[in-house]
Amino acid sequence: MSRVGPFVLRGLAELGEASRIALATLARHRLRSLLTTLGIVIGVTTVIAIIAIVQGLDQSFEAQVASLGANTLYVQKFKWIMSDSEWSLLRNRQPLTLATYRAVERESRLAVATSPRAFSSAVVGRRGVEMKSVAVFGVGARWLETAGGAVAFGRFLSQNEVELDRAVVVLGAEVVDVLFPGLPPGAAVGEQVTVDGRPLVVVGVLERKGRILDQSLDKQALLPFGTFGALFGMKRSITIAAAAPSGRVNELEDELTGILRRVRRVPPGKPDDFSINRQEQLLKLYVGLTRALYAVAVGIGLITLVVGGIGIMNIMLVSVHERTREIGLRRALGARRRTVLMQFLLEASLVAALGGAVGTALGLGVAELIALFTPLAAAVTGSAVALGLSFSALVGILFGSFPAWRAAHLDPVEALRYE
Amino acid sequence: MTALIAVEDLARVYEVGAEKVHALDGVSFEVAEGEFLAVVGQSGSGKSTLMNILGCLDTPTRGLYRIHGQDVAGLSDNALADLRNREIGFVFQTFQLLPRSTALSNVELPLVYRGLRRSERRELARAALCAVGLENRMHHRPNELSGGQRQRVAIARALVGSPSLLLADEPTGNLDSATGEEIVRLFAELNRRGHTILLVTHEPRLAARCPRAIRLSDGRVVADGPGREVAALGGPQVVPA
Repeated sequence: MSRVGPFVLRGLAELGEASRIALATLARHRLRSLLTTLGIVIGVTTVIAIIAIVQGLDQSFEAQVASLGANTLYVQKFKWIMSDSEWSLLRNRQPLTLATYRAVERESRLAVATSPRAFSSAVVGRRGVEMKSVAVFGVGARWLETAGGAVAFGRFLSQNEVELDRAVVVLGAEVVDVLFPGLPPGAAVGEQVTVDGRPLVVVGVLERKGRILDQSLDKQALLPFGTFGALFGMKRSITIAAAAPSGRVNELEDELTGILRRVRRVPPGKPDDFSINRQEQLLKLYVGLTRALYAVAVGIGLITLVVGGIGIMNIMLVSVHERTREIGLRRALGARRRTVLMQFLLEASLVAALGGAVGTALGLGVAELIALFTPLAAAVTGSAVALGLSFSALVGILFGSFPAWRAAHLDPVEALRYE
Repeated sequence: MTALIAVEDLARVYEVGAEKVHALDGVSFEVAEGEFLAVVGQSGSGKSTLMNILGCLDTPTRGLYRIHGQDVAGLSDNALADLRNREIGFVFQTFQLLPRSTALSNVELPLVYRGLRRSERRELARAALCAVGLENRMHHRPNELSGGQRQRVAIARALVGSPSLLLADEPTGNLDSATGEEIVRLFAELNRRGHTILLVTHEPRLAARCPRAIRLSDGRVVADGPGREVAALGGPQVVPA
């Protein structure tokens, strides 16, 4: 017999025996093990599904927020995030007009690029094919510099086209998909389409941006601001987009506030009669929302920890009770307390980890189903899976400790005599 | 030469409620290597308590217990577990086999706690099963074996680690007389091969078969001598139901 590392050898032999016993017990009590872990299964399923959905939301939200531009300010009549009472207050504000935009364009020293933006929903068509509810924007030539995005084919609206209200349009990728089926997307450039019946020439196609929830970012058409006005009128309030040099967003906000108050003749001491919005506000709102979702996940997780853990503790106590004589025998044959302890801890964590594995698989399935049947996206990361598994094994060890301790501290004489 | 085991003024007091029960009350004797002796006595005489202490499952309230000259008192729980593993081979009245393990796996068990490799364990377990005449039953489970065969498996398990002492507690108690006789013959055979055996029983007939016997009564040694004589001292036994 090898004398090298007798402790290691003994540990390995005991671990092997403990695993064998644990697996045999699980196999023998399949239904019991399954019912025991149900609490953990349900909890892990829920937590994994929630995390998957939140992570999916993260991804599509990032795309959406990125399209707003981190350094871009949006001057508008309304705030992006407001309560009902705020809304009824702000609706009496004077609309922002093209004249307001001209003032910003003329007076801002800081803004890297500015552009007006007017919005309407319209029907875009070509040769009898119609696409309804397309987001149509009237913008300036430097719109892309404020909002981000790029042209994939052709070019963007030129300064000249904007100043002369030319009948031209830049289309989103999805609009091209529908109106030019079977053709390469670049083929749309130079072709004619109609926007609410008015013929326009396509000068460019935008790069594909994807979807956020059920809304496509590619179902849009960009027109020169004046062309838009001729089509849809100019009564509605417009948005003024202004891009700041990197890191100087707050300065630009101050500058814009000054310009706007002057142009709109807001008396000193009165509040602004406009709102300056930026990406950060949405980010804050979003982070708050997801934090709440994560809190729900953690809450469910904790409740599961207790419910699932109690289930495991219960069944382990039964298991220890049933095997009292076996424990006595093992102790008589030379098993140390810690060997018995390890045996039952291993069994408890195995049952729990099994529940965790089933729960993880179910959670991923639920997330996939949600992604399939609702506009919500689901993204599953390895960390979520690792979390689910280690979390449940931890529950097993935590709640298996007491029964295992009890087993280890049985009096061997009493245990052997137990009927 | 030092005795294999030596007990001196051994006492074990249980507290049952406010009452103190002296299960053992000053027991002294020695067992030399190679002996085959019986501890006999009626139920309640202190046999089981003595067996538990000799088996290192319990510790005395007073007195000395030495194995190979080593004092057992004051050993840690781990040290006692290791001592049981190395020095003691238990044979129980109710066999105490793991019902879902094969004979081979049952016999291997003490070697698991000694940290032997699986291949070594298998080899030794086979040899032990052969020594008790079960070479054809190695892969049977306990419920596929007769009572006598089960007890043989248990004896093989007690032998497999080459302990200094075989401790058998009423080993024929759950067997019919013919099978019991087989087991007694097996013990005698093992003793001839050099094993030291201590057999705890309430049956004088069994004690009479041993070269030496110790009679316990009310926790004291009342006789220590050749098995036949000590067994006869007891007179007609009242066997408890």
